[in-house]
Parts: sequence; structure tokens; C-alpha cells
Amino acid sequence: MSPPVNSPSLYRRLLVWLLVPMLALGTLMLIQAYLASRDTADRAFDRLLESASLSIAEQVKRQQGQLWMDLPPAALKMLASNAEERVFYALYDAHDNFISGNAELPRIDDGQGNMRFANIEWHDMALRLGVRRSLLEGWRDRQPFEVRVAHTREGRAALTQALFQGSMLRLIAMALLAIGVVLLGVRMALMPLTQLRRAIRARDPRTLAPLDLTLPRELAELRETLNELLARMRRVRANQERFIGDASHQLRTPLAGLSARAELALRQDDPRAWHDALGVMRGSADKTARLASQLLSLTRLNNPESMPEARDIDLCDIARQAIRDALTSCHRAGIDLGVETPSHAVIQHAVEWQLAEALANLIDNACRYGASRITVRVGEAPTRLEVEDDGPGIPEAQRLLVLRPFHRGIEGGQGSGLGLAIVDGIARAHAARLTLAPAQPNAEPPGLRVRLHFTEEPTP
Amino acid sequence: MTAPHRSPARWAVALTAMMLSAITLADDANVLRYPAAHEAAAQPLEIHGALDNELMAPLLADFHARYPEIELIYRNLTTLALYRRFLAEDEASADVVMSSAMPWQYQLANRGHARALTTSAAQQWPQVSRWRHELFGFTFEPVVIVYRRDALEGATPPDSHEALLSLLTHERQRLKGRVVTYDPWRSGAGYTYATEDAHMSPRYWELVAALGGVEAALADTTGEMLDGLADGRYAVGYNLLGSYARDFVADHPQLEMVIPNDYALVTQRLVLIPKRARHPETAERFVDYLLSRQGQRVIRDKTPLGAVHTALDGEGTARDLRQTLGDALHPIAIDPSLLATLDTLKRHSLLDRWQREYTRLSDSGP
Repeated sequence: MSPPVNSPSLYRRLLVWLLVPMLALGTLMLIQAYLASRDTADRAFDRLLESASLSIAEQVKRQQGQLWMDLPPAALKMLASNAEERVFYALYDAHDNFISGNAELPRIDDGQGNMRFANIEWHDMALRLGVRRSLLEGWRDRQPFEVRVAHTREGRAALTQALFQGSMLRLIAMALLAIGVVLLGVRMALMPLTQLRRAIRARDPRTLAPLDLTLPRELAELRETLNELLARMRRVRANQERFIGDASHQLRTPLAGLSARAELALRQDDPRAWHDALGVMRGSADKTARLASQLLSLTRLNNPESMPEARDIDLCDIARQAIRDALTSCHRAGIDLGVETPSHAVIQHAVEWQLAEALANLIDNACRYGASRITVRVGEAPTRLEVEDDGPGIPEAQRLLVLRPFHRGIEGGQGSGLGLAIVDGIARAHAARLTLAPAQPNAEPPGLRVRLHFTEEPTP
Repeated sequence: MTAPHRSPARWAVALTAMMLSAITLADDANVLRYPAAHEAAAQPLEIHGALDNELMAPLLADFHARYPEIELIYRNLTTLALYRRFLAEDEASADVVMSSAMPWQYQLANRGHARALTTSAAQQWPQVSRWRHELFGFTFEPVVIVYRRDALEGATPPDSHEALLSLLTHERQRLKGRVVTYDPWRSGAGYTYATEDAHMSPRYWELVAALGGVEAALADTTGEMLDGLADGRYAVGYNLLGSYARDFVADHPQLEMVIPNDYALVTQRLVLIPKRARHPETAERFVDYLLSRQGQRVIRDKTPLGAVHTALDGEGTARDLRQTLGDALHPIAIDPSLLATLDTLKRHSLLDRWQREYTRLSDSGP
């Protein structure tokens, strides 16, 4: 098995997901800071336009039927500020006639209120224009007029730059701080994971004791899952230990019998007695060998690491082969052995030797438990294999228990108690369903039908 | 001479007449030429200035000696002609424009007609004598009072505006018709000084009234006033251009020049390189020279214009004047308030006031 390809580490994943949005946010904030700086600079300098135009407007009066103004030089100085900006001013009457000024400045039509501002391009210069609408206060007529003032934008640009630089420095400092906090935070948040890893690595590989570690909720779930896995492993190991114990017990009994029989035979001088003893001993050794081979198959079946190769096989072939294999011994025991198969092949994806083993075990079981007639049957829709006998059958309460290793349906029977357990293992390996049912429920003895369903009953 | 009462319309006629005369004056007699050493590689440079040829000549000669490859033409125009010529689009533009008419020069630069100069000399030029690196004040000329010693026997010499006012008040009879000052209607310089004086103190109007009281004569140029003082027609001249007066007074021992010690206006000639200049490289070289230590040294040593350069000292430098007069020195600021002096309505207001104050004492007097 090749190791799984590593996906990016949690640490990196968290950093990317935190830092990339932070970067985007930072960029947005910079843009916002620039716009805010520009607005602030504009507002500050618009105040200058406002006060300059006000001080000019205050000097406007009516003289000899015309608008008259005594231009205050300070108003123009105010507009220039210290950036030595170019300044322009003009006085217009109610009919948009130029009265006085150093430049003919355009009007601003849109906007509300007495003071209006606009950015204009004027003779290749970028200007900020402020237009003040005012009324001439008089005894009789209240004539409207406009004071228009404008200056170049250098001072604004400089102030914007200065303000923006200030905000940028603060933002950068904040971003550095935030990155530091994120790095630290991610490290702190992933700390329990490291703890868990260390705790698992530090364990004695043979212990299956549950992990006892205080962890955050998300990891506590992982810990519980691990603990469940460990618990399962403990159960599996307990099972294995019991199985080994049972198996060695099972093997020890016939071996002890063999030994006792041999000893008994050795005390006698009669060769006939030896012959008898050897006969018994051979039977015993056969039984022991069979037990060992059954134990071996069971172990192979229970081993999750072994992955026998399955292929498409004909169940009828399997059934006929099983009959052929068992025919001699059954014939000797006077048992009627039969096979019923459809005329065509029934193909099933399966491991051949396992199915053969299952059939052999079932036939053997039937022989041992006193059947006189055994039928091996292959069925279609659903695909199934079954072995039917006319033996005593298994009472309903026992049917689950007989599937456990070393359990014998009838105390003192001749079997090893492994046959059905092996069949069950094979059924599970093939994802087939195993059913035990009386062959003829109303007859006495009822007999037993063991059936392996490879597919489900088709729904009518 | 009594000042006539003038309406704005008449003033406009006077201005037009002045302009016309100024343009016709621009004949070849007012042109200085310095041909290049090698005709083939000549780099032309045309300077328009409102500065007399004899004041300009030492500077131009020195510049030409340093850069003989430049073919130099200096055209002397009046300040107004210079301004009109500049604004006339079809006229080929000069490469350098120099003028003592500060408001007009400022107006040109403010409108964005000037090119920025960023040589090191320009960068280091004192803040008060420049505007945006586009407009440079390269001379430093105080506005002075000149009087005849013999005419003021027994009276306190007018060494300040205050003293002048008290002199005019106390010696009214003796000085009647013997005081001269600029005509603010006819002379741009006179108008600028009047504006600055009025801005300095409201007591200026008392001085104008006192000038009216002695029926002061009104002249167009400093030269005219100096001539009248030299030949004894006038006893006191107020607001004369110090750069012209200095040398003249040195030649005429009966005259005394005083820089007022309460405040002394200082006017500066402003130079700019037009954006439309046809030879900007040579123009930049010339202005850089004007602002350089060498050019300023020529101004100090060979002209009465007054050097601005901060590294120069001795007689004829701004530094020297600052040391003697300190805070009383009041250079006319190169800032937007110059634009205010150009405002037509403002001009009318000021001249009306001037007229009223000037005639106040003579109308109600004995």
C-alpha cells in the first residue's frame, strides 16, 4: 500500500485562509485611506476657498450703479497657502457678466447651497474652483452676485500625500501586528493537535488502553473515535486469544488421546492389540489433522490482510466437484449424496477454494450429525448454494450459537465445532447471506437446509 | 503742478496712450547685440527686459564673455510694452523676460506662462525672492527719499516716513511746489509703491494729504525726479528708486539719499523664462547665471541694482541692507497680493482715495 499523498498542512491552510483575506482587506483599507485622505485634504482646502471667497464677498458693494469691490490681498494670500499655488479670482454679476478678476472662471451650475466646489481643467491647469453666491445687502435692492475663486491643487496633493503616508504607516504597523497575532494564534490553536500526536507517538505500541487527554471539543471527538477503535482492537485481541486458547485445547485433547492410546498399546505384547491401537490412532490423527486444517482455514478467513483473488466461476462446477470429493466417504457411510443444478452455468464472482471449502464443511457436518440423505443444490434468482440434509436439524435457539467456533450443536458430537464457523466466515468474505432453516419443518427429524444467498431475492 | 481730478475713463485713455508710446519706443536704439564668437555654432538667446541698457550692459558683457557661443540680443522695453508683447500670441516669444513691474510678472507666472528652473542656484535661491522656481527676484532695490541739503537748512532731514510727514506739515509754505513723487496714475511703479505704502500703515493717507498740502509735483520716472532735484526745482523727492538714485546722488554732492528707517520698501526685478521660449537651454543658462554667485557679483560691483545672493556681502547687497536696516526693510512680497494691485476695481478704489486725500488740504486749506 502506497502512503496517501499529503494535502497541504493545516497550518499552511489556516495561514492562507487568514492571510489572503487579510491582504485583500488591507488593500481595500489602503484604497479607502487614500480616498479619505483626499477627501480630508479637499475639505481642508475648500475651507480656504470658502473663507477667501467670503472675505472677498464682504468687500463687494454697490457704487455708481455698479458692483464694486475693494479686493483684500489677504484673501488671495489665503488661497495660495504655503504651497505657492496659482490663484484666480473673479467677480460676476447676476447676469454672469465679468466685473473684475484676474481670470474668467467658469460657473458651476449643479450643486446646492451658496458655496459650490468643482474640479476643473482650465488652460491646461487642474484647478479647484469655489463659487460663492451672495446677495448685495442694500436698503432697496438685494442684487445677487458671484465670487469665484480657484487655485491649483498642489497643496491638496501634498496634504493628501502626507495624510495617506501617515495612514499607510499605521496600516502597515497594524498589518504586521495582525500577521504576528495570526501566526501565534494559529500555532496556539493547533497546539492540542500536536499534543495528541505526541501522546499517540509516546504510547507503548502494545498497549491498547484508551487515550486519556484533555482536548478541545473538535479533537475530543477524534479522541473518542480513536478510543472506540482501540476498544474494538482490544475485543479482537481478546477473541484471538480465546480462539488460540480454544484451538490449543482442541488440539491437545486428541494428541493426549493419541499419546495415551500409544502408551496403552506399548504395555501389551499382542501385535493384534497394536494393530487395533494403530487403527484407532490413525483415525485420531486424521481427526487432528482435519482440525488443524480447519483451524488454518479459519485463521486465513479471519485475517483481514489476506485478499484472495476472486473471479467469475460457475457454481454448478463447484457443487459437482464437492459431490465428487465427498462421494467416496459418503458411500462408505451409506449416505445418499445428490446434486441438483440448473442445466446451464450459474456464474458468481467468488473465491473458488473458499466455496469448495464451505461445501465440504457443510457436507461433512451433515455426515457427522446423522444425515442419511444429502442434497447439494445450486439456485438462481437469487443466486444461491444450498446443502440440505435429513438429519436432526438445529433447534432455532442454537442457530446463531453454532456459528461460533468450537460450539457443537450436539454435545459429544463427532465434529470439531469449526465447520459452520468456517462457512460463516466464507459467507461474510463474499458478502453473502447465510441462513439455517429446517429442510422439512413438519417432518421428524426436520433436517437442515444451509443456504448461501449471493444476491438478494428479486423484488416481485 | 496740481493734480487734475481724473475719472476712470480718462485714466483709461491715459493708459492707452502710454502703451502706444511704449510700443513705438521699442526701436533699434533699445537693442543690445552680442554676436557669437563662431557664427556657425551660434546659440541664439533673446532677452526682453525693462532695464536700461547701461545697467544691463555689464551683466550681458560678463555673461557673453563666459559663454561666447551664445548669440545674445537684449531688447529694452517699458514694463507695459513687455507685458503686452508677451501676451500677444503672434509675437515670437522672448527667451527670458525681466521686469521691475512685479505685479505683471507675477500675473504671467500665475497664469502658468513661466517655465520652472531647477538648477542648483535656483533651488538655493532665498524663499522671499522667488515664487515656485518660476519667478526670481534677482535685484534688491530700496525705495528712497532724496533731498537737497541746501533746501532743507535748519529742518530735520526726512530719514523716515514719520519725519517726512512732520517736515511736510511744518514746512508747508517753504516746500510748496518743491516736493516731487511718483504719479500713481501714470506710473506702474508709483502705483505699486502707493499700494504697498497704504498697506503698511493707514497714516500713509496723512502723508498723501500732506503731499497735496505742499502741492507736490507728480512725475513718471525716477530719472525725471532726480533731474528736477539736481537742477534745484525740487527740494525733496519721495519714493525714488534707490538703484537709480544711488549713483546719481554720488555724482551730485548737494543731494542726499535716505533709506527711510521706519520702513523701507524694496522692489525686485523679476525674471522668468516663458514656456513659449524658443531657446530654453540658453535661457536657463542665462537665468542660472543671473542667480549664480558670478552674476550676482557683477550686479553688486558693476551695477547699482543690489545683489540678492546670500553668500555675497558688502555695499550693494541685500545682506548689507538687512544688517543696517533690520526689520525696517520691507521687500515687496512676491505673493498673490501682487494680483490684488492689478485688480481694476481695486486700482480705482485706491486712486480715488489717493485723489481725495491729495486734494483734501488744498480744498479746505487757506
